[in-house]
Amino acid sequence: MDRNKLEKWLKSPTKMGHKYSLHVVYFCTGCGIIEIPPSITARWDAERFGIIPVASPRQANLFLITGYVALKTLKAIIRTYEQMPEPKFTVAFGSCPINGGMYWDSYNTIKHLDKYIPIDGWIAGCMPRPEAIFIGVTHLWTLIDKEMADGYKKYRKDYKYYRENQEQIFGKLEWPPLFQKEVKK
Amino acid sequence: MELMVIMIFKIILVIFLAFIIGIFFLGLSRKIIARIQWRYGPPITQPIIDIIKLFNQGSMSHGVLFNFGIILSLVGSIVVILFLPMGKMCPLSSSGGLLVILYLMLLLPLGIALSSGEAANPNASIGISRKFILALGYEVPLLLIFLAVMTHYNTISIVKIVKMQSNTGWSLTSLPLLLSGIAYLLILPAILGVRPFEIFKAPQEISSGPMVEYGGKFLAFATIQHAFNEFIGISIFVNLFLGGASNPGYFFLKMLVVFFIYQFVNAVFPRFRIEQALKYLWKWPTLLAFVGLIIVAITN
Amino acid sequence: MNIEVLLVIAFGGALITYLLGKISKRARNVSAVAISLALVVIIAFLYNASSNITFYTGFLKNLSLVLRINTLSWFFAITISVVGALSIIFSLSYIKGKERTDFYYLMMMLVNASMIGIVLAGDFVTFYIFWEIMSWSAFLLISYNRGTAMAAGMKYIIMSVIGSMAMLIGILSLYANYGTLNISEISTFMASASSGYILFILITFGIGFGVKSAIVPLHAWLPDAHSQAPSPFSAVLSGVLIKMGIYGFILILYVIVGLKNFLGLSSNGFSFHYILCILGVITIVIPSFIAILQNDAKRLLAWSSIGQIGYIILAIAFGTSLGFAGGTFHILNHAIFKALLFLTVGAVEYRTGTRDLNSLGGLIKKMPITFLLALIGAFGLIGVPLTNGFVSKWLIYKTLILEGHPFLAFFALLGTWAAILYTYKLIHNIFLGELQEKHNNIEKTPFSMQLPMIVLALAIILFGILPGIPLKIINSIGVSFGLESLNINIWGIASDTGALNTINIFMAVLIIGLIVWLIFKAGRKSVKVTQDNNYAAGTYIPKGKYNYSVNFYNPLQRMISPFLKDFIDDFYMWISRGIKKMSISIRRIYTGDIGNYVMYIVLFLALLIFIQIKWNLW
Repeated sequence: MDRNKLEKWLKSPTKMGHKYSLHVVYFCTGCGIIEIPPSITARWDAERFGIIPVASPRQANLFLITGYVALKTLKAIIRTYEQMPEPKFTVAFGSCPINGGMYWDSYNTIKHLDKYIPIDGWIAGCMPRPEAIFIGVTHLWTLIDKEMADGYKKYRKDYKYYRENQEQIFGKLEWPPLFQKEVKK
Repeated sequence: MELMVIMIFKIILVIFLAFIIGIFFLGLSRKIIARIQWRYGPPITQPIIDIIKLFNQGSMSHGVLFNFGIILSLVGSIVVILFLPMGKMCPLSSSGGLLVILYLMLLLPLGIALSSGEAANPNASIGISRKFILALGYEVPLLLIFLAVMTHYNTISIVKIVKMQSNTGWSLTSLPLLLSGIAYLLILPAILGVRPFEIFKAPQEISSGPMVEYGGKFLAFATIQHAFNEFIGISIFVNLFLGGASNPGYFFLKMLVVFFIYQFVNAVFPRFRIEQALKYLWKWPTLLAFVGLIIVAITN
Repeated sequence: MNIEVLLVIAFGGALITYLLGKISKRARNVSAVAISLALVVIIAFLYNASSNITFYTGFLKNLSLVLRINTLSWFFAITISVVGALSIIFSLSYIKGKERTDFYYLMMMLVNASMIGIVLAGDFVTFYIFWEIMSWSAFLLISYNRGTAMAAGMKYIIMSVIGSMAMLIGILSLYANYGTLNISEISTFMASASSGYILFILITFGIGFGVKSAIVPLHAWLPDAHSQAPSPFSAVLSGVLIKMGIYGFILILYVIVGLKNFLGLSSNGFSFHYILCILGVITIVIPSFIAILQNDAKRLLAWSSIGQIGYIILAIAFGTSLGFAGGTFHILNHAIFKALLFLTVGAVEYRTGTRDLNSLGGLIKKMPITFLLALIGAFGLIGVPLTNGFVSKWLIYKTLILEGHPFLAFFALLGTWAAILYTYKLIHNIFLGELQEKHNNIEKTPFSMQLPMIVLALAIILFGILPGIPLKIINSIGVSFGLESLNINIWGIASDTGALNTINIFMAVLIIGLIVWLIFKAGRKSVKVTQDNNYAAGTYIPKGKYNYSVNFYNPLQRMISPFLKDFIDDFYMWISRGIKKMSISIRRIYTGDIGNYVMYIVLFLALLIFIQIKWNLW
């Protein structure tokens, strides 16, 4: 952890700021949320890394998709993801968003979340322990340092692809497209 | 001409010192809560990291009034600081005294109220109505306290009050104003919006209330405004009841003592409902402040 | 320019406007606006004039009718004429298309003219004549909308007539005692009157003026009257008509009875001016809290008017020079911002057809200029620094604190916080919050409605930054009453117990505001989102099903509404119901049967004969 290195702060305060102050949207998507309270309470304290849950997606920049994704929840996830301000990072938690996990042959869950919203990192496990969560966060820091955590840029660039997939599952969506034309970034 | 330059320098210094002290208190409060809960907590410089990140993040805006409201609130806080003496410095001392401070302090909730009203979110409307009701609740004892102090010293200028205390000792030690001082300590959490009166923000109930639609730089401004607000609340108490100070160092030490008192309350209490908060605020602190005012009126 | 010519133009103009209306609407509109503006200009030119004109001798044997003008009259006259002219400009669009518009314009100009006549009156007969003309023309305008407005108008006129009768008793007793009704002569006579007589005069005139200026036991007519009247007239009613009661109070307390007599009027601890102060304090606190509970925009503003009048009464009855300056300045301020607020509510009602706070919302997107002006008016009402409301309230608080009456100051300050609550409720429920589906297609207000509001808003800010302009005039009025002079600069008041310097505050706010705004602009640009792109826990808020501002202060309402019913209004209604029942039971004498009536005659004759036989009276 290089939070105390002053020269890095002076060189690129943006990247250091995004690394050491991650606000998580407190949206309990699935069963994986059961591992979040242990990691923010006293035993495995997440606040010492600057991670704190906030109530509203407008104030957040990290979205944890914890556990399986049902169809109903997917609508709420897409809406919440679009309401977050940029730059934003998404981390998929557990095995279900990766390939369906335990519900690999269910009619009601999403097997590949990557088709609907962009994901920056995955943490495998059914549920990952808090130590795994922290290792995942450290990897996210490395990605932010190397500027490879660009899920939000991908969303902007390939929005047509994502919107087609969303409309294929849900039919007509109630909200208008977020980006009117494709933006070259 | 030189007078103008010195005054501008003093203004900038006062605002800068207030900002540093406010941010320090914000970080220290998170650390204290964490230590009481047997964990390590973020570093004390965490609010600065938050503000740096928030200024680099995008945000959503609902219109012109949305931007204007938060700016109004922040400007209100900064202008109030210019009226409060910190150590021996008080840039705008001859412009109306304690009544102007009382009136400028009402710009703070009003600015946030205007901007969150524009957001058209039900959580914001509920949050801001609760904030105003809470403000009505703590204003009743606060007015009694201010009037007791003003009547006791027979002036409305806060600089004079600080000067008179250097002759007669701290207000808290003189019998008529002891009750008013204790009443002010009882309502200090309500003024600052910390637990048990955190009804304004209430992240779990109403999703941060008026700040539900604040992203990026709006949230940064709200954090800075929170820092200035804490400074104002404690600084008024130190000036009126603990005798001010002769230089900013001692001032900061006195503020630290008051800070610890209400932070320990903040760390362990849950949140009141708004009816319970009103009933409490209109009962005991009002009674104490009322008796204090009667004693001051009799001994004058 | 003589002041009789002024009154002739005022009254004659009203008649000409009415007659022109029978010929062509456009000519009537032009004449109404032109005559009102001409009145403003003439009165402005009469600044610093001071004269005394006897225009009729021999009224009822030996009374002479006198008109006079001095600084106090000029101050009130300019307020009346400006607010009246702006209301008439506002009504050009508001009244168009309604019925009986000629009658409306006639009554508006008549009210205007009679109020100018009141402040220019030099003796009590003229005063009483103009007072009555004002009362009944106001009654005809309040019940202009027919329907429920009739009951409101009846309540108003009955209470006003009772007040005028009390005043008439006072006037008659003055005539019986001193043989003259000329105000300046009476003030020299009253300097040597006994304190019992002074108390009698104060009480009778006090009831008369108290009804008109709605002090607490006598305020019951005001909420109904203000909410049922058409909006431009509500602005005049709330802005200047209630101030006529205050003008009467100033006349009685300062001119006729004199400051020393009034302050010294006490008997074993109870001094009359302190009782008036306590009534003022009750008038501040209770109506301001009742205003928080209202759901109708104009009723809320009406209760708020009663509250602000309490400030003025408190300051004027307090008797110090700062108090008089603060109270009189608040008369001007309250006229300006209350008229502005009533006009904005009228503009909203004109476009949306409703003034129910539980069904409006989000109109800032459709009427941005009206919102900005309402915001400035609201800031003036609260007393935000840099508006004129702040200066007058600062003066009132300072004198209350420094003279050692902290409890009065506490209640006055509490009134301000109640004002913040109900003003924000008004602004939020009408303009902020969510735009309702049915209001999606309304247009902006027409320019002739915006113009008077813009003028008033500019006055609020101007008098807030440079309060010395009106304060100089008020200071000279105070000096003429024997109060000590204040040290007034263009930007505030200098004194050794805490000065007020509004230019400092203004420069500080401006510069710091600029710096903060630049920092704000330096951040990343924000994305504009529409109203339905709101946080709702991941779902989409359906249109047309929600209104977020219903029952805005619900917890507070539940706690305090049992204590804040209008007991006095219920008391008056109970009296009126009792009188009605008594009258119905007395009516039973008229049975319609001739035999009964013959029996009445025979019994009465028998009674007379019996009395004559027994006691031999005649």
